[in-house]
Amino acid sequence: MSPDSRHLLEVDQLSTTFATPHGLLPAVSEVSFTLQEDETIGIVGESGSGKTVLARTIMGLQPMTNIQVEGSVLINGFQVVGASDPEKRKHWGTDVAMVFQDPMTSLNPVMRIGKQIDETLRVRLGMSRQSAKARAIELLTLVGIPSSTERYDAFPGELSGGMRQRVVIATALACSPKLLLADEPTTGLDVTIQAQILNLLGELQQRLHMSVVLITHDLGVVATRTSRLIVMYAGRVVEIGETRDIFAHHRMPYTRALLDSSPRISNPSHTRLLAIPGRPPNLLNLPNGCSFAPRCSFATDQCHNERPPLTPSSEPGHSFACWNPLPISTRSEMS
Amino acid sequence: MTDLLAVEPLEAKTPLGPLFWACVAWLSLNVLAAILANLLPLQDPLFQNYSALNAGPSLHHLLGTDDLGRDIFSRIVFGSRISILVGIGAMFIGFGIGAPLGMLTAYRRGKFDHIVTTMMYVLLAFPAIIAVIAVLSFWTPRSILKIIIVIGAASIPLVYRVVRAASLSVATRDFVTAAKVQGASSLRILLREILPNITPIMVSFLLIGIASVVTLEGALAFLGLSVNPPTPSWGNMINESRTVLAQNPWLVLFPSLALCLFLLSLNFIGDRLRTYFDVSEVKL
Repeated sequence: MSPDSRHLLEVDQLSTTFATPHGLLPAVSEVSFTLQEDETIGIVGESGSGKTVLARTIMGLQPMTNIQVEGSVLINGFQVVGASDPEKRKHWGTDVAMVFQDPMTSLNPVMRIGKQIDETLRVRLGMSRQSAKARAIELLTLVGIPSSTERYDAFPGELSGGMRQRVVIATALACSPKLLLADEPTTGLDVTIQAQILNLLGELQQRLHMSVVLITHDLGVVATRTSRLIVMYAGRVVEIGETRDIFAHHRMPYTRALLDSSPRISNPSHTRLLAIPGRPPNLLNLPNGCSFAPRCSFATDQCHNERPPLTPSSEPGHSFACWNPLPISTRSEMS
Repeated sequence: MTDLLAVEPLEAKTPLGPLFWACVAWLSLNVLAAILANLLPLQDPLFQNYSALNAGPSLHHLLGTDDLGRDIFSRIVFGSRISILVGIGAMFIGFGIGAPLGMLTAYRRGKFDHIVTTMMYVLLAFPAIIAVIAVLSFWTPRSILKIIIVIGAASIPLVYRVVRAASLSVATRDFVTAAKVQGASSLRILLREILPNITPIMVSFLLIGIASVVTLEGALAFLGLSVNPPTPSWGNMINESRTVLAQNPWLVLFPSLALCLFLLSLNFIGDRLRTYFDVSEVKL
């Protein structure tokens, strides 16, 4: 990550609000971050922290009319917020592509897998039938599908979950996107396959010089595979920085709690995992202050009444939103 | 590659069964006979043989004659033309308008969907048969085309509802979104992603729909609201036989039997296809 490299993705003060019968629901609030070319950024948070909504907003997917998006999302210079469908159609696939959570539902069950890839090639890139087929087989090989020529004619139902997710990735790569959004790409897979898929994503990122946004609730997944990390809570960024800084010098008690709740190899056996007490807040009825205050053991009156802004920490690019941050030298191992 | 080993062989589907194929054969025979009726060595369905009124089945008249001496077998074959034509024609209109509309509203949602769906439900609340009878009694002279149009129009809300519901369950799946973010146009998504996934449901509903329309045409003919006599249709043959039921029971038996077997076959095929495809859906 050199300072002069271009920002491929610029998210600025992005808010996504759902108008529900019970009031306005701020699913994503004032999120800002940038992503360089050739960089992988991780977004972590509990279920309901707004990760998926953020990903869909960055994509420009607003299926329902009762969604309000404010702020700006620039991908490769294209303003996603407020773009019309035909404009987005040109930008999708070539600028940005997405890998969905569940490989069981993200492939059309009645279309041969090869067809699902070369359809995109023919429509978007205007390839001929033969060259699209050759390219589709090439892509299937690229994502590690053995005997891809034969697999070209397989239906999704004939493949295992891991194989299907590889096909989904191949489909996403069809138009050589510059940015790949992976929304919990391994949730539906078992652990050994998870590692394969994540390694594949990392490998492809390097080989194709893509930027990747990796969304997950599993800190173990992002630890080695991302250069920077965003921690989200209740739709807001609560800590952002280089991955190793966040792991080593996190300042936000929520990040600490997240780290403590995932198992670690250095723990003695039979160590109890620490669960975060309480529940994620109801987004319809957010507290005035810090959203994490009701569950936080360090919370003071100020935390309950005033929302903490993102404050820079000692390391470059590392910010956190907390009134009572953990001391700088704190390492999670010490807890 | 551990997951290579996990590739499952497709389980063999339970076969459709001999009864299914018997029904297909019977239907094909019916349709073929209707198409080729002019070429087949049949007697003129309108020719009145005064020397054989209300005759029972014989070599000369395979299924006997009616009270005017017309050959029943020939009239059943020629009558099937009306029934089948109305059944297919009305469903053509119903699916031609109802299906694209249902797919479109299910995919687009929003205000347009809201307006169209509300309209269709208002239409559904009104009993279709009453509307059909009312329109047909005033829209004279009746012709087969008018009957097809009226029944077809009445079937649009029903088709719409089934297709919309089926499309809705497909349109919300991830692969539709995935195709969308690959830059596929709405038309492409409708035709390549949604349509193939709802085809099994549509085919079985189409067959059952044809059966219902044939029944409805029979009912209309029985009320004298279908094609004008002496043109035979299964419905008006049953209607005409009413008056001579005591003297000539054959006359009501054979057209009813023809109608009954035709409908049973259609329903059975539609039903069997639906379960056949349902199973594969679960496996996928």
